[in-house]
This record gives sequence, structure tokens and C-alpha cells, in this order.
Amino acid sequence: MNPRAPQGNNVVTQSLAQIGNCGLFLLTLLAAIPRSFRYVRETIRQLWFVGAMSLTIIMVCGLFVGMVLMLQLYHVLSIFGGTSASGMVVALSVYRELGPVVTALLFAGRAGTSITAEIGLMRATDQIDAMEMMAVDPIAYVATPRFLAGLIAMPLLCCVFCAMAIFGGHLIGVSWLGIDNGTFWSNMTAVVEVHTDIVNGVLFKSLAFGAVVSLIAVYQGFTTPPTSEGVAYATTRTVVASSIAILALDFVLTAFLM
Amino acid sequence: MTEPVRATSDDSTLVRVRGLTTVLNGKTIFDRLDMDIPRGKITAIMGPSGTGKTTLLKHMTGQMRADAGEILVNGKNVPDMSREALYKMREGIGYLFQNSALLTDFDVFENVAFPLRQHTKLPEVLIRNLVLLKLQAVGLRGAARLLPNELSGGMARRVALARAIVFDPMLIMYDEPFVGLDPVALNQVLKLIRTLNQTLGITSVLVAHELDAIKQVADHVFLIANGKVVAQGDPKTIANDGSAWTRQFFGGEADGPVPFQYPAGDYAQALGFGGAAK
Repeated sequence: MNPRAPQGNNVVTQSLAQIGNCGLFLLTLLAAIPRSFRYVRETIRQLWFVGAMSLTIIMVCGLFVGMVLMLQLYHVLSIFGGTSASGMVVALSVYRELGPVVTALLFAGRAGTSITAEIGLMRATDQIDAMEMMAVDPIAYVATPRFLAGLIAMPLLCCVFCAMAIFGGHLIGVSWLGIDNGTFWSNMTAVVEVHTDIVNGVLFKSLAFGAVVSLIAVYQGFTTPPTSEGVAYATTRTVVASSIAILALDFVLTAFLM
Repeated sequence: MTEPVRATSDDSTLVRVRGLTTVLNGKTIFDRLDMDIPRGKITAIMGPSGTGKTTLLKHMTGQMRADAGEILVNGKNVPDMSREALYKMREGIGYLFQNSALLTDFDVFENVAFPLRQHTKLPEVLIRNLVLLKLQAVGLRGAARLLPNELSGGMARRVALARAIVFDPMLIMYDEPFVGLDPVALNQVLKLIRTLNQTLGITSVLVAHELDAIKQVADHVFLIANGKVVAQGDPKTIANDGSAWTRQFFGGEADGPVPFQYPAGDYAQALGFGGAAK
């Protein structure tokens, strides 16, 4: 059956079945975490791959998001004579929403897709079956290290993203548009709260998004049909499902954490 | 706890298949198939393409569940095994995949060393020597640092063979081991399979189509078709046992009980003659 073919009313049923299977896969992953401790080196290797190798895109995007945000806010706030609050608003926007959400979307596009494609190709070329035959648990050796690496990397990448966004905002606001440097920082530090904005906003959200994106990426890789079209389709599904999940989860988390 | 496959029993049969029934996508692959793989011998499984030879190996190793039947490996029923028991059993089995299945992140050396690193705590120098021994046996010691994408199909198969035997397992399953090998490599691989069998008492199961190679190396041949064993016996005599199956299969004839064409509708009708083409 062509997976791209429209399937009418079955779409809802199939989506629910996918979510259910993904939930069961999560339980399998969590159960395999103790067994994966012997593959610490593999987890570190994956952490380098999904974390360190994503740094460039995260830093560049963070910088531009901060710069654009400051430009827009300065323009709007200047109408009310409140340009001195620009830095504060940039910080709150980035810490509470843009930082975790944009980092997660970029992470899904950069690392999630490569995880899915890599595992999908391993399945298509019998590497997963070969591990099974060598009595090596592929969930503990392949899936769990990638899941844990995503979980660890996301909050760290989000911190880098936020720092670069603030730097971008400062660059535009202070260096270009002439906002006072002291005002920029003092307004920001007066309003930003560690628990509400940093812990709940940056760390908790990014941890949740990291878990969701990594789970979806690994799940799609493991369940992809072992064909080139299957791998391509699974990679696309990783981006689509991750993006929807990130934005939906962001709404739920924001509603509960506010 | 299931032990790795070791030659501990006096039983002359290492793998016993009884009443194996498998239906895939509505097609019956095995229909109450019975088979005994003798211990310490080289057994070849032959048959037309798509007849389920690889599927049979997957059943024996627990990679795929059958719809019914028993598969006893060293006296233990594979379908009843837990995951842990299956893994324990597989530690004693070497398996050569049809498409080699080398780990693409690792070079040749690390591919062969992989099972040793996962299941033993041998010192690095011993792992190195064991791997080089196996690579020398398949003629690829000089290719130890090449990546899988730098190997030809035949070389990749020989690396996979080195990986399959690195543990000196007591049961090795070879899925199409001779495909893509040049005559020199083929001869060496045949010698290697025979030597492993004779010196270590390894039981070998081969899935292959090359009758000449099978005649040189196998002790026993099963010919399967239509979901059952249709002929078995000594490789030098089975081709001449006179049955329609063996006559057609080993003679390479188009007509006979082994269909060359996959089941299909009327040919003329499909071409649009004498009715609407589908």
C-alpha cells in the first residue's frame, strides 16, 4: 500500500494507533535505559552528533531571532515611548516561548530527521537484524542512546539559543538603535524570574520537547518500512509529527505553568 | 536459562523442525514442514526463489514467529523462548546475512570485533589477534581499516563471514554465502566452511543455489518447494534420485512442478487479446 495514498476516515484511526504505538515504544525505551548504561560511549557519541553538531544552526538562528525580535519590538514600543522595555520583552519572549519552541523545531529538522534516516537505513540494510542475531539489543544499543542524547542536548541547545537571542537583541537594541546599555540589562534582570522563566520556560519546556522529538525520531526510524520511499516518508513524518507535537505541547505546558 | 548452542547432547539432531506452518500475506510459505538438521554436519537448504529458505533460517533463530509448529534448537523450542533466552541461544550462533548487513559506522576491523566487544571483556590485544586471525582466514586482513562502503559485494560477504565465525559458534547459518564471490574467493570460502566444520565440529546450515559448490561442501541437502521438503539426501546422489522435483530443479528445466512464473492471470488477456486487459 502506498503510504501517501489518502485513506479517508482511517486517518484518524491510524493517527490514534500511531500515538498508541509510540506510547508503547516509549515504555520499551524507558525499560531499556538500565541496559543502555553499558553503552555510555555510544550515548556520548550521539550527544556529540545531535548536540554539538547542531550548535552552528542553533547559534545562527538564535542570533537572528533576537535581532529581528528587537527590531520589531523597538518599532512597536517606540509608538508608546517604551523602547527602554525592549530588552525585557525580548528576554521574556525568548525564555518563555521562542527559545524552547524554535530550538525544538530546529532540533527536529536538524537532528530528528537524521536520527530517523539513520535508523531507517540501518533497518533497510539489515543492520538492526544483524545486531539482534549477535545478541545485541538494538533498543538498548541504537534507540535509547539517541533518545537520551536528545533529552540531554535539547536543554543545553536551548540555553545557547537563548543566550544568542539576547546577544542579538543587545546588538541591535544597544549598538544599533541606541538603547541605553544599563537600561537594557537592568529592566531585563528586574523582570526575569529564575523559576518562572528559566526553570519552567527554558529548562522544563526544552526537556519535554527534547523527549518528544527524540521519541518521535527514534520511533519513526524503527517502524519505517525498509525501503527508500519508506525512509523518506518516515523522515518527513518526523518533522511533521514533531512540529505539531511541539506546538501542541507548548500550549498545554504554558497553560499549566503560567 | 537457555544456554548458548553447544555440542553437549548425544542427540545427533541439533535443529528439529516439526509441523512448521507459516502464512505471509495470505500465501502459505510452509505447510506442516518437517526437517532434522544433523549435528556436526554441513546441511544445505535449496529450493526455488521465494520458497522461504531465508524465512526458515529466521524461524530457527527466532527472528520471525511461525503460525504453528515446533522448532527445537538443542532441545529447546525457539517459539517458546523469552527474549533473554533467545539472546543467550544466539550467542552460540553465527549468522551470515544475504546482504552482509555490516555496520556502516564501523570499519572492517570493528565490524568483526563487534560481537567480541559486546559479549566479552577480552583484553584489546587478544581481540586484535582474534579479529586478524578471522580476517586472514577470509583473505581480508589487509582491508581491516576499510569502511563497508569501500568494499565490493564479495568482500563485504567475506567480512560478514569473518564476523559470523569470530566467536567460533557451534551453529553457523549462511544465507547465500557464495553470491558475488570470484572463483578464488569461492574456493577459499568453501575450504573455510569445511575446515570450520571438521576442526571445531561446527554445525553449518547453508542456503544456496550453487549446486557445484553444494556438492563440494555439504553432507546433506534438503530441497524445499511448495512449503514442504520434497527431496533430501546426499548432495551427490540427490540430483539423480529421479523425482520430478529434483530433475527439474537440478536440471534447470522450465517445465515441471517448480513454476517459473509467479502465479498470474491469463497472459493473452493481460496483453489485451481476447478480453479486457487488467
